[in-house]
Amino acid sequence: MAVCPVYTTQSLNSTCSISTPSKTHFSSHHNHLVFYRTSKRTSKRGGSSSCVITCSAGDSQTVVIGLAADSGCGKSTFMRRLTSVFGGAAEPPKGGNPDSNTLISDMTTVICLDDYHSLDRTGRKEKGVTALDPRANDFDLMYEQVKALKSGIAVDKPIYNHVSGLLDPPELIKPPKILVIEGLHPMFDERVRDLLDFSIYLDISNEVKFAWKIQRDMAERGHSLESIKASIEARKPDFDAFIDPQKQYADAVIEVLPTQLIPDDNEGKVLRVRLIMKEGVEHFSPVYLFDEGSTISWIPCGRKLTCSYPGIKFSYGPDTYFGREVSVLEMDGQFDRLDELIYVESHLSNLSTKFYGEVTQQMLKHADFPGSNNGTGLFQTIVGLKIRDLYEQITASKTAAPLQATKA
Amino acid sequence: MATLFTLNLVTPRAVASLPDSTKGSPIKVPYLNQPWKRILSPLESRRMQVRAAPDRLSEKVEQSIKEAQEACSDDPASGECVAAWDEVEELSAAASHARDRLKDNDPLENYCQDNPETDECKTYDN
Repeated sequence: MAVCPVYTTQSLNSTCSISTPSKTHFSSHHNHLVFYRTSKRTSKRGGSSSCVITCSAGDSQTVVIGLAADSGCGKSTFMRRLTSVFGGAAEPPKGGNPDSNTLISDMTTVICLDDYHSLDRTGRKEKGVTALDPRANDFDLMYEQVKALKSGIAVDKPIYNHVSGLLDPPELIKPPKILVIEGLHPMFDERVRDLLDFSIYLDISNEVKFAWKIQRDMAERGHSLESIKASIEARKPDFDAFIDPQKQYADAVIEVLPTQLIPDDNEGKVLRVRLIMKEGVEHFSPVYLFDEGSTISWIPCGRKLTCSYPGIKFSYGPDTYFGREVSVLEMDGQFDRLDELIYVESHLSNLSTKFYGEVTQQMLKHADFPGSNNGTGLFQTIVGLKIRDLYEQITASKTAAPLQATKA
Repeated sequence: MATLFTLNLVTPRAVASLPDSTKGSPIKVPYLNQPWKRILSPLESRRMQVRAAPDRLSEKVEQSIKEAQEACSDDPASGECVAAWDEVEELSAAASHARDRLKDNDPLENYCQDNPETDECKTYDN
Protein backbone atom coordinates (compact mmCIF):
# COMPACT_ATOMS: atom_id res chain seq x y z
CA MET A 1 0.00 0.00 0.00
CA ALA A 2 2.68 2.51 0.94
CA VAL A 3 5.51 3.54 -1.28
CA CYS A 4 8.79 3.19 0.61
CA PRO A 5 11.90 4.22 -1.24
CA VAL A 6 15.03 3.05 0.59
CA TYR A 7 18.12 5.19 0.65
CA THR A 8 21.49 4.03 1.86
CA THR A 9 24.23 6.52 2.54
CA GLN A 10 27.74 5.62 3.24
CA SER A 11 29.92 8.26 4.70
CA LEU A 12 33.11 8.43 6.63
CA ASN A 13 31.41 10.36 9.38
CA SER A 14 28.67 8.78 11.31
CA THR A 15 26.16 11.45 10.49
CA CYS A 16 23.36 10.81 8.11
CA SER A 17 21.21 13.42 6.46
CA ILE A 18 17.54 12.98 5.95
CA SER A 19 16.27 14.81 2.94
CA THR A 20 12.63 15.76 3.32
CA PRO A 21 10.51 17.35 0.65
CA SER A 22 9.99 20.97 1.62
CA LYS A 23 6.22 21.00 1.58
CA THR A 24 5.34 18.18 3.94
CA HIS A 25 4.11 18.54 7.47
CA PHE A 26 4.50 15.77 9.99
CA SER A 27 0.80 15.85 10.70
CA SER A 28 0.09 14.18 7.37
CA HIS A 29 0.48 10.50 6.60
CA HIS A 30 4.24 10.62 6.16
CA ASN A 31 6.09 8.25 8.44
CA HIS A 32 9.80 8.67 8.52
CA LEU A 33 11.72 5.79 9.99
CA VAL A 34 15.35 6.42 10.52
CA PHE A 35 17.69 3.60 11.23
CA TYR A 36 21.33 4.29 11.59
CA ARG A 37 24.03 2.08 12.87
CA THR A 38 27.18 3.57 14.18
CA SER A 39 29.56 0.90 15.24
CA LYS A 40 32.81 1.63 16.97
CA ARG A 41 34.55 -0.51 14.47
CA THR A 42 33.82 1.93 11.68
CA SER A 43 37.16 3.69 12.03
CA LYS A 44 38.83 0.47 10.96
CA ARG A 45 36.35 -0.27 8.25
CA GLY A 46 36.47 3.25 6.99
CA GLY A 47 32.83 4.13 7.03
CA SER A 48 29.48 3.61 8.57
CA SER A 49 26.43 2.86 6.64
CA SER A 50 23.17 4.45 7.60
CA CYS A 51 19.86 3.56 6.12
CA VAL A 52 17.01 5.99 5.92
CA ILE A 53 13.67 4.60 4.98
CA THR A 54 10.92 7.07 4.29
CA CYS A 55 7.44 5.68 3.94
CA SER A 56 5.06 8.12 2.41
CA ALA A 57 1.62 6.62 2.50
CA GLY A 58 -0.21 9.80 1.58
CA ASP A 59 1.09 11.42 -1.51
CA SER A 60 -0.23 10.74 -4.96
CA GLN A 61 -2.66 8.11 -3.69
CA THR A 62 -5.63 10.25 -2.76
CA VAL A 63 -8.44 9.70 -5.24
CA VAL A 64 -10.65 12.77 -5.65
CA ILE A 65 -14.33 12.43 -6.56
CA GLY A 66 -16.59 15.39 -7.33
CA LEU A 67 -20.35 15.42 -6.81
CA ALA A 68 -22.47 18.30 -8.05
CA ALA A 69 -26.14 18.92 -7.36
CA ASP A 70 -28.49 21.69 -6.37
CA SER A 71 -29.57 21.99 -2.78
CA GLY A 72 -32.19 19.47 -1.69
CA CYS A 73 -31.35 17.04 -4.49
CA GLY A 74 -30.03 13.99 -2.67
CA LYS A 75 -26.34 14.71 -2.23
CA SER A 76 -26.42 13.65 1.43
CA THR A 77 -28.18 10.39 0.63
CA PHE A 78 -25.67 9.70 -2.13
CA MET A 79 -22.82 10.40 0.29
CA ARG A 80 -24.19 7.98 2.84
CA ARG A 81 -24.56 5.24 0.22
CA LEU A 82 -21.07 5.91 -1.13
CA THR A 83 -19.34 5.80 2.24
CA SER A 84 -21.29 2.66 3.11
CA VAL A 85 -19.93 0.86 0.02
CA PHE A 86 -16.44 1.41 1.38
CA GLY A 87 -17.49 0.27 4.83
CA GLY A 88 -17.97 2.20 8.02
CA ALA A 89 -20.24 5.07 8.82
CA ALA A 90 -19.14 8.59 7.96
CA GLU A 91 -19.38 10.98 10.90
CA PRO A 92 -18.50 14.60 11.55
CA PRO A 93 -15.00 15.04 13.02
CA LYS A 94 -15.07 14.22 16.71
CA GLY A 95 -14.33 17.00 19.12
CA GLY A 96 -14.52 19.71 16.49
CA ASN A 97 -17.09 22.31 15.51
CA PRO A 98 -20.52 20.64 15.88
CA ASP A 99 -21.78 22.52 12.83
CA SER A 100 -19.00 21.20 10.63
CA ASN A 101 -20.12 19.94 7.24
CA THR A 102 -17.27 17.48 6.88
CA LEU A 103 -17.85 13.73 7.16
CA ILE A 104 -14.99 11.35 7.93
CA SER A 105 -14.90 7.57 7.77
CA ASP A 106 -11.96 5.12 7.56
CA MET A 107 -11.41 5.42 3.84
CA THR A 108 -13.27 8.54 2.82
CA THR A 109 -13.52 12.17 3.75
CA VAL A 110 -16.42 14.20 2.38
CA ILE A 111 -15.89 17.94 2.08
CA CYS A 112 -18.81 20.28 1.48
CA LEU A 113 -17.86 23.01 -0.95
CA ASP A 114 -20.07 25.51 0.87
CA ASP A 115 -17.04 25.86 3.16
CA TYR A 116 -15.33 27.82 0.37
CA HIS A 117 -17.91 30.59 0.34
CA SER A 118 -16.07 33.89 0.23
CA LEU A 119 -19.17 35.80 1.33
CA ASP A 120 -21.21 34.81 4.35
CA ARG A 121 -24.99 35.15 4.48
CA THR A 122 -25.03 38.86 5.34
CA GLY A 123 -22.34 39.57 2.76
CA ARG A 124 -24.40 37.89 0.06
CA LYS A 125 -27.53 39.74 1.12
CA GLU A 126 -25.71 43.08 0.89
CA LYS A 127 -24.41 42.35 -2.58
CA GLY A 128 -27.66 40.76 -3.73
CA VAL A 129 -25.85 37.59 -4.75
CA THR A 130 -26.94 33.96 -4.26
CA ALA A 131 -24.71 31.12 -3.09
CA LEU A 132 -24.93 29.75 -6.64
CA ASP A 133 -23.06 32.74 -8.02
CA PRO A 134 -19.31 32.18 -8.50
CA ARG A 135 -18.70 35.62 -6.97
CA ALA A 136 -19.71 34.16 -3.60
CA ASN A 137 -17.08 31.38 -3.71
CA ASP A 138 -13.31 31.37 -3.38
CA PHE A 139 -12.18 29.07 -6.19
CA ASP A 140 -8.48 29.84 -5.68
CA LEU A 141 -8.58 28.52 -2.12
CA MET A 142 -10.66 25.52 -3.25
CA TYR A 143 -8.09 24.65 -5.91
CA GLU A 144 -5.10 25.05 -3.57
CA GLN A 145 -6.59 22.96 -0.80
CA VAL A 146 -7.88 20.15 -3.03
CA LYS A 147 -4.46 20.06 -4.74
CA ALA A 148 -2.73 19.89 -1.36
CA LEU A 149 -4.97 17.09 -0.12
CA LYS A 150 -4.45 15.19 -3.35
CA SER A 151 -0.68 15.41 -2.85
CA GLY A 152 -0.93 14.18 0.72
CA ILE A 153 -0.66 17.47 2.64
CA ALA A 154 -3.09 18.27 5.44
CA VAL A 155 -4.94 21.58 5.19
CA ASP A 156 -6.82 24.00 7.42
CA LYS A 157 -10.17 24.25 5.75
CA PRO A 158 -12.65 27.01 6.65
CA ILE A 159 -16.09 26.02 7.94
CA TYR A 160 -19.29 27.61 6.68
CA ASN A 161 -21.88 27.33 9.42
CA HIS A 162 -25.29 26.74 7.81
CA VAL A 163 -27.14 27.53 11.02
CA SER A 164 -25.60 30.94 11.70
CA GLY A 165 -24.63 31.75 8.13
CA LEU A 166 -21.11 32.77 9.20
CA LEU A 167 -17.64 31.52 8.36
CA ASP A 168 -16.27 29.71 11.40
CA PRO A 169 -12.59 29.14 12.29
CA PRO A 170 -10.90 26.47 10.15
CA GLU A 171 -10.60 22.78 10.96
CA LEU A 172 -7.70 20.49 10.11
CA ILE A 173 -8.36 18.01 7.33
CA LYS A 174 -5.89 15.17 6.87
CA PRO A 175 -5.51 13.67 3.40
CA PRO A 176 -7.68 10.55 3.15
CA LYS A 177 -7.54 7.67 0.71
CA ILE A 178 -10.66 8.93 -1.03
CA LEU A 179 -11.64 12.58 -0.99
CA VAL A 180 -15.15 13.47 -2.06
CA ILE A 181 -15.97 17.10 -2.74
CA GLU A 182 -19.67 17.72 -2.90
CA GLY A 183 -21.52 20.94 -3.50
CA LEU A 184 -22.74 23.34 -6.10
CA HIS A 185 -19.49 24.02 -7.98
CA PRO A 186 -17.07 21.07 -8.01
CA MET A 187 -16.68 21.21 -11.78
CA PHE A 188 -17.05 24.93 -12.30
CA ASP A 189 -13.40 25.90 -12.05
CA GLU A 190 -11.22 24.31 -14.70
CA ARG A 191 -8.24 23.73 -12.41
CA VAL A 192 -10.38 21.89 -9.84
CA ARG A 193 -11.99 19.89 -12.65
CA ASP A 194 -8.57 18.62 -13.74
CA LEU A 195 -7.86 17.35 -10.23
CA LEU A 196 -10.97 15.17 -10.15
CA ASP A 197 -10.52 11.47 -10.88
CA PHE A 198 -14.25 11.00 -11.31
CA SER A 199 -17.18 13.38 -11.33
CA ILE A 200 -20.91 12.91 -10.90
CA TYR A 201 -23.79 15.29 -11.53
CA LEU A 202 -27.30 14.79 -10.11
CA ASP A 203 -29.68 16.31 -12.62
CA ILE A 204 -33.19 16.58 -11.18
CA SER A 205 -35.93 17.79 -13.49
CA ASN A 206 -38.06 20.75 -12.43
CA GLU A 207 -41.24 18.79 -11.70
CA VAL A 208 -39.42 16.25 -9.54
CA LYS A 209 -37.46 18.99 -7.77
CA PHE A 210 -40.68 20.78 -6.95
CA ALA A 211 -42.26 17.57 -5.61
CA TRP A 212 -39.20 16.78 -3.46
CA LYS A 213 -39.01 20.29 -2.05
CA ILE A 214 -42.70 20.18 -1.16
CA GLN A 215 -42.11 16.93 0.71
CA ARG A 216 -39.13 18.43 2.49
CA ASP A 217 -40.54 21.85 3.37
CA MET A 218 -44.25 21.38 4.00
CA ALA A 219 -43.44 20.23 7.53
CA GLU A 220 -41.89 23.64 8.22
CA ARG A 221 -44.22 26.16 9.85
CA GLY A 222 -43.59 29.19 7.68
CA HIS A 223 -43.63 27.49 4.31
CA SER A 224 -46.52 27.31 1.90
CA LEU A 225 -46.83 26.06 -1.66
CA GLU A 226 -46.36 29.60 -2.95
CA SER A 227 -43.21 30.24 -0.95
CA ILE A 228 -41.63 26.97 -2.11
CA LYS A 229 -42.51 27.79 -5.71
CA ALA A 230 -41.20 31.36 -5.36
CA SER A 231 -37.93 30.09 -3.90
CA ILE A 232 -37.37 27.69 -6.82
CA GLU A 233 -38.31 30.33 -9.41
CA ALA A 234 -36.02 32.97 -7.89
CA ARG A 235 -32.99 30.68 -7.89
CA LYS A 236 -33.60 29.28 -11.35
CA PRO A 237 -31.71 31.95 -13.41
CA ASP A 238 -28.52 31.57 -11.35
CA PHE A 239 -28.89 27.79 -11.34
CA ASP A 240 -29.26 27.64 -15.13
CA ALA A 241 -26.33 29.99 -15.65
CA PHE A 242 -23.78 28.54 -13.23
CA ILE A 243 -24.70 25.07 -11.99
CA ASP A 244 -26.44 23.37 -14.89
CA PRO A 245 -23.55 23.76 -17.40
CA GLN A 246 -21.41 21.56 -15.17
CA LYS A 247 -23.25 18.47 -16.35
CA GLN A 248 -21.39 18.44 -19.65
CA TYR A 249 -18.13 17.84 -17.77
CA ALA A 250 -19.40 15.04 -15.54
CA ASP A 251 -18.27 11.43 -16.10
CA ALA A 252 -21.63 10.16 -14.86
CA VAL A 253 -24.95 12.00 -14.76
CA ILE A 254 -27.94 10.68 -12.83
CA GLU A 255 -30.97 12.29 -14.42
CA VAL A 256 -34.30 12.05 -12.56
CA LEU A 257 -37.49 12.63 -14.51
CA PRO A 258 -41.19 12.01 -13.94
CA THR A 259 -42.38 8.55 -14.88
CA GLN A 260 -43.72 7.65 -18.29
CA LEU A 261 -45.53 4.58 -17.02
CA ILE A 262 -48.39 6.46 -15.38
CA PRO A 263 -50.10 8.99 -17.65
CA ASP A 264 -50.58 12.42 -16.07
CA ASP A 265 -48.79 11.51 -12.88
CA ASN A 266 -48.00 14.57 -10.79
CA GLU A 267 -47.30 12.96 -7.43
CA GLY A 268 -43.69 12.35 -8.27
CA LYS A 269 -43.60 9.06 -6.36
CA VAL A 270 -42.70 6.86 -9.32
CA LEU A 271 -39.58 8.09 -11.07
CA ARG A 272 -37.79 7.56 -14.33
CA VAL A 273 -34.05 7.61 -13.69
CA ARG A 274 -31.35 7.67 -16.36
CA LEU A 275 -27.72 6.86 -15.68
CA ILE A 276 -25.67 8.61 -18.38
CA MET A 277 -22.13 7.23 -18.44
CA LYS A 278 -19.39 8.83 -20.48
CA GLU A 279 -17.41 6.49 -22.72
CA GLY A 280 -13.65 6.42 -22.69
CA VAL A 281 -13.13 7.49 -19.10
CA GLU A 282 -10.01 5.94 -17.59
CA HIS A 283 -10.67 3.17 -15.04
CA PHE A 284 -14.44 3.41 -15.61
CA SER A 285 -16.37 0.85 -17.66
CA PRO A 286 -20.08 1.60 -18.08
CA VAL A 287 -22.77 -0.76 -16.83
CA TYR A 288 -24.72 -2.43 -19.61
CA LEU A 289 -27.72 -4.62 -20.22
CA PHE A 290 -27.31 -7.86 -22.20
CA ASP A 291 -24.98 -6.56 -24.94
CA GLU A 292 -22.63 -3.62 -24.77
CA GLY A 293 -23.28 -1.02 -27.43
CA SER A 294 -26.64 -2.25 -28.64
CA THR A 295 -30.03 -0.72 -27.88
CA ILE A 296 -32.15 -2.79 -25.52
CA SER A 297 -35.59 -2.30 -24.08
CA TRP A 298 -36.49 -4.67 -21.27
CA ILE A 299 -39.54 -5.25 -19.12
CA PRO A 300 -38.54 -7.82 -16.49
CA CYS A 301 -42.11 -8.44 -15.32
CA GLY A 302 -43.68 -11.41 -17.03
CA ARG A 303 -43.79 -15.12 -16.50
CA LYS A 304 -40.76 -15.47 -14.25
CA LEU A 305 -41.34 -12.32 -12.23
CA THR A 306 -44.64 -10.77 -11.22
CA CYS A 307 -44.61 -7.05 -10.42
CA SER A 308 -47.32 -4.82 -9.05
CA TYR A 309 -48.52 -1.67 -10.80
CA PRO A 310 -46.89 0.26 -12.47
CA GLY A 311 -44.12 -2.30 -12.91
CA ILE A 312 -40.55 -1.79 -14.05
CA LYS A 313 -39.14 -0.90 -17.44
CA PHE A 314 -35.47 -0.80 -18.37
CA SER A 315 -33.71 0.48 -21.43
CA TYR A 316 -30.10 0.73 -22.45
CA GLY A 317 -28.34 2.15 -25.45
CA PRO A 318 -25.58 4.37 -26.82
CA ASP A 319 -26.24 8.07 -27.23
CA THR A 320 -24.54 11.44 -27.51
CA TYR A 321 -24.67 13.94 -24.65
CA PHE A 322 -23.31 17.44 -25.25
CA GLY A 323 -21.25 16.14 -28.11
CA ARG A 324 -19.70 13.21 -26.24
CA GLU A 325 -20.28 9.49 -26.67
CA VAL A 326 -22.25 8.07 -23.74
CA SER A 327 -24.11 4.94 -22.74
CA VAL A 328 -27.46 5.44 -21.09
CA LEU A 329 -29.07 2.95 -18.73
CA GLU A 330 -32.61 3.90 -17.78
CA MET A 331 -35.03 2.56 -15.20
CA ASP A 332 -38.66 3.58 -14.94
CA GLY A 333 -40.79 2.27 -12.07
CA GLN A 334 -40.37 0.93 -8.57
CA PHE A 335 -39.11 -2.15 -6.79
CA ASP A 336 -41.67 -3.66 -4.49
CA ARG A 337 -39.99 -6.87 -3.48
CA LEU A 338 -36.55 -8.22 -2.87
CA ASP A 339 -36.71 -10.75 -5.68
CA GLU A 340 -37.41 -8.03 -8.24
CA LEU A 341 -34.18 -6.36 -7.20
CA ILE A 342 -32.06 -9.51 -7.34
CA TYR A 343 -33.63 -10.49 -10.67
CA VAL A 344 -32.69 -7.12 -12.17
CA GLU A 345 -29.19 -7.29 -10.70
CA SER A 346 -28.56 -10.71 -12.19
CA HIS A 347 -29.25 -9.37 -15.67
CA LEU A 348 -27.07 -6.24 -15.49
CA SER A 349 -23.43 -6.58 -16.52
CA ASN A 350 -20.23 -4.76 -15.59
CA LEU A 351 -21.50 -3.82 -12.17
CA SER A 352 -18.06 -4.11 -10.49
CA THR A 353 -19.55 -6.13 -7.64
CA LYS A 354 -17.31 -8.42 -5.62
CA PHE A 355 -19.98 -11.08 -5.23
CA TYR A 356 -23.37 -11.93 -6.64
CA GLY A 357 -26.08 -9.90 -4.96
CA GLU A 358 -23.87 -7.10 -3.66
CA VAL A 359 -26.05 -4.36 -5.16
CA THR A 360 -29.14 -5.87 -3.57
CA GLN A 361 -27.36 -6.21 -0.26
CA GLN A 362 -26.28 -2.57 -0.30
CA MET A 363 -29.79 -1.44 -1.21
CA LEU A 364 -31.29 -3.48 1.62
CA LYS A 365 -28.76 -2.18 4.10
CA HIS A 366 -30.20 1.27 3.57
CA ALA A 367 -33.81 0.44 2.85
CA ASP A 368 -34.89 3.47 4.87
CA PHE A 369 -33.02 5.97 2.67
CA PRO A 370 -35.11 7.89 0.17
CA GLY A 371 -35.02 6.34 -3.27
CA SER A 372 -34.33 2.82 -2.08
CA ASN A 373 -37.17 1.42 -4.12
CA ASN A 374 -36.43 3.08 -7.45
CA GLY A 375 -33.69 3.96 -9.88
CA THR A 376 -32.16 6.74 -7.78
CA GLY A 377 -31.06 4.34 -5.05
CA LEU A 378 -30.09 1.64 -7.55
CA PHE A 379 -27.93 3.91 -9.70
CA GLN A 380 -26.38 5.67 -6.73
CA THR A 381 -25.37 2.26 -5.35
CA ILE A 382 -23.99 1.18 -8.74
CA VAL A 383 -21.99 4.42 -9.07
CA GLY A 384 -20.65 3.82 -5.57
CA LEU A 385 -19.41 0.37 -6.60
CA LYS A 386 -17.90 1.84 -9.77
CA ILE A 387 -16.02 4.38 -7.67
CA ARG A 388 -14.68 1.59 -5.47
CA ASP A 389 -13.51 -0.22 -8.60
CA LEU A 390 -11.91 2.98 -9.91
CA TYR A 391 -10.12 3.52 -6.59
CA GLU A 392 -8.75 -0.04 -6.59
CA GLN A 393 -7.54 0.30 -10.17
CA ILE A 394 -5.81 3.60 -9.47
CA THR A 395 -4.06 2.37 -6.33
CA ALA A 396 -3.03 -0.85 -8.07
CA SER A 397 -1.49 1.08 -10.95
CA LYS A 398 0.29 3.50 -8.60
CA THR A 399 1.91 0.73 -6.53
CA ALA A 400 2.86 -1.20 -9.65
CA ALA A 401 4.86 1.69 -11.09
CA PRO A 402 7.44 2.11 -8.29
CA LEU A 403 7.90 -1.68 -8.09
CA GLN A 404 8.83 -1.65 -11.73
CA ALA A 405 11.23 1.22 -11.10
CA THR A 406 13.04 -0.67 -8.33
CA LYS A 407 13.30 -3.77 -10.47
CA ALA A 408 14.86 -1.78 -13.30
CA MET B 1 -35.21 2.76 28.36
CA ALA B 2 -33.36 5.98 29.08
CA THR B 3 -34.84 6.14 32.55
CA LEU B 4 -33.37 2.72 33.34
CA PHE B 5 -29.96 4.10 32.57
CA THR B 6 -30.43 7.12 34.78
CA LEU B 7 -31.56 4.96 37.67
CA ASN B 8 -28.40 2.88 37.33
CA LEU B 9 -26.30 5.99 37.33
CA VAL B 10 -28.05 7.64 40.24
CA THR B 11 -28.08 4.80 42.78
CA PRO B 12 -24.30 4.19 42.95
CA ARG B 13 -23.82 7.86 43.69
CA ALA B 14 -26.39 7.69 46.48
CA VAL B 15 -24.60 4.70 47.98
CA ALA B 16 -21.23 6.38 47.66
CA SER B 17 -22.27 9.53 49.46
CA LEU B 18 -23.67 7.69 52.49
CA PRO B 19 -20.34 6.85 54.19
CA ASP B 20 -19.35 10.52 54.09
CA SER B 21 -22.09 11.80 56.30
CA THR B 22 -21.72 9.45 59.25
CA LYS B 23 -21.89 12.13 61.89
CA GLY B 24 -25.58 11.68 62.44
CA SER B 25 -26.71 14.71 60.48
CA PRO B 26 -29.58 14.01 58.09
CA ILE B 27 -28.29 12.37 54.94
CA LYS B 28 -28.77 14.83 52.13
CA VAL B 29 -29.59 12.92 48.99
CA PRO B 30 -31.20 15.73 47.02
CA TYR B 31 -32.00 13.83 43.87
CA LEU B 32 -33.93 11.11 45.66
CA ASN B 33 -36.06 13.56 47.65
CA GLN B 34 -36.52 16.04 44.84
CA PRO B 35 -36.36 14.06 41.60
CA TRP B 36 -36.90 17.16 39.46
CA LYS B 37 -33.51 18.39 40.55
CA ARG B 38 -31.65 15.29 39.45
CA ILE B 39 -28.56 15.78 37.33
CA LEU B 40 -29.32 15.07 33.73
CA SER B 41 -27.45 12.10 32.36
CA PRO B 42 -25.22 12.81 29.34
CA LEU B 43 -27.76 11.12 27.03
CA GLU B 44 -30.61 13.32 28.14
CA SER B 45 -28.65 16.57 28.20
CA ARG B 46 -27.46 15.86 24.67
CA ARG B 47 -31.03 15.18 23.59
CA MET B 48 -32.14 18.49 25.12
CA GLN B 49 -29.48 20.36 23.14
CA VAL B 50 -30.37 18.61 19.89
CA ARG B 51 -34.05 19.38 20.37
CA ALA B 52 -33.34 23.12 20.63
CA ALA B 53 -31.52 23.42 17.29
CA PRO B 54 -34.42 22.57 14.93
CA ASP B 55 -36.74 24.96 16.82
CA ARG B 56 -34.26 27.79 16.36
CA LEU B 57 -33.92 26.93 12.71
CA SER B 58 -37.69 26.75 12.20
CA GLU B 59 -38.02 30.26 13.56
CA LYS B 60 -35.23 31.41 11.28
CA VAL B 61 -36.95 29.83 8.28
CA GLU B 62 -40.22 31.56 9.10
CA GLN B 63 -38.49 34.89 9.52
CA SER B 64 -36.50 34.56 6.32
CA ILE B 65 -39.66 33.76 4.32
CA LYS B 66 -41.30 36.93 5.60
CA GLU B 67 -38.20 38.96 4.73
CA ALA B 68 -38.05 37.45 1.27
CA GLN B 69 -41.68 38.24 0.60
CA GLU B 70 -41.06 41.83 1.67
CA ALA B 71 -37.94 42.15 -0.46
CA CYS B 72 -39.70 40.81 -3.50
CA SER B 73 -42.79 42.98 -3.16
CA ASP B 74 -40.82 45.95 -4.56
CA ASP B 75 -38.90 44.32 -7.39
CA PRO B 76 -39.14 40.58 -8.08
CA ALA B 77 -36.09 40.51 -10.35
CA SER B 78 -33.69 42.37 -8.10
CA GLY B 79 -30.62 40.87 -6.53
CA GLU B 80 -32.02 41.37 -3.03
CA CYS B 81 -35.14 39.35 -3.81
CA VAL B 82 -33.12 36.50 -5.32
CA ALA B 83 -30.62 36.50 -2.47
CA ALA B 84 -33.47 36.49 0.07
CA TRP B 85 -35.12 33.43 -1.49
CA ASP B 86 -31.72 31.73 -1.67
CA GLU B 87 -31.40 32.29 2.07
CA VAL B 88 -34.84 30.70 2.57
CA GLU B 89 -33.68 27.67 0.58
CA GLU B 90 -30.44 27.38 2.57
CA LEU B 91 -32.24 27.58 5.90
CA SER B 92 -34.91 25.09 4.81
CA ALA B 93 -32.18 22.64 3.83
CA ALA B 94 -30.42 23.13 7.17
CA ALA B 95 -33.73 22.64 9.03
CA SER B 96 -34.47 19.43 7.17
CA HIS B 97 -30.96 18.10 7.89
CA ALA B 98 -31.40 18.92 11.56
CA ARG B 99 -34.73 17.07 11.58
CA ASP B 100 -33.11 14.06 9.93
CA ARG B 101 -30.31 14.02 12.48
CA LEU B 102 -32.88 14.18 15.26
CA LYS B 103 -34.75 11.25 13.75
CA ASP B 104 -31.54 9.24 13.59
CA ASN B 105 -30.64 9.88 17.20
CA ASP B 106 -31.41 6.56 18.82
CA PRO B 107 -30.41 6.67 22.52
CA LEU B 108 -29.47 2.99 22.54
CA GLU B 109 -27.28 3.33 19.46
CA ASN B 110 -25.56 6.39 20.93
CA TYR B 111 -24.87 4.58 24.19
CA CYS B 112 -23.61 1.46 22.43
CA GLN B 113 -21.21 3.40 20.23
CA ASP B 114 -19.31 4.42 23.34
CA ASN B 115 -19.78 1.25 25.37
CA PRO B 116 -19.90 -1.78 23.08
CA GLU B 117 -18.93 -4.29 25.75
CA THR B 118 -21.93 -3.77 28.04
CA ASP B 119 -24.65 -6.41 28.19
CA GLU B 120 -27.14 -4.35 26.20
CA CYS B 121 -24.70 -3.76 23.38
CA LYS B 122 -22.91 -7.04 22.84
CA THR B 123 -23.39 -8.46 19.36
CA TYR B 124 -22.78 -12.06 18.42
CA ASP B 125 -22.11 -12.00 14.70
CA ASN B 126 -20.16 -15.19 14.30
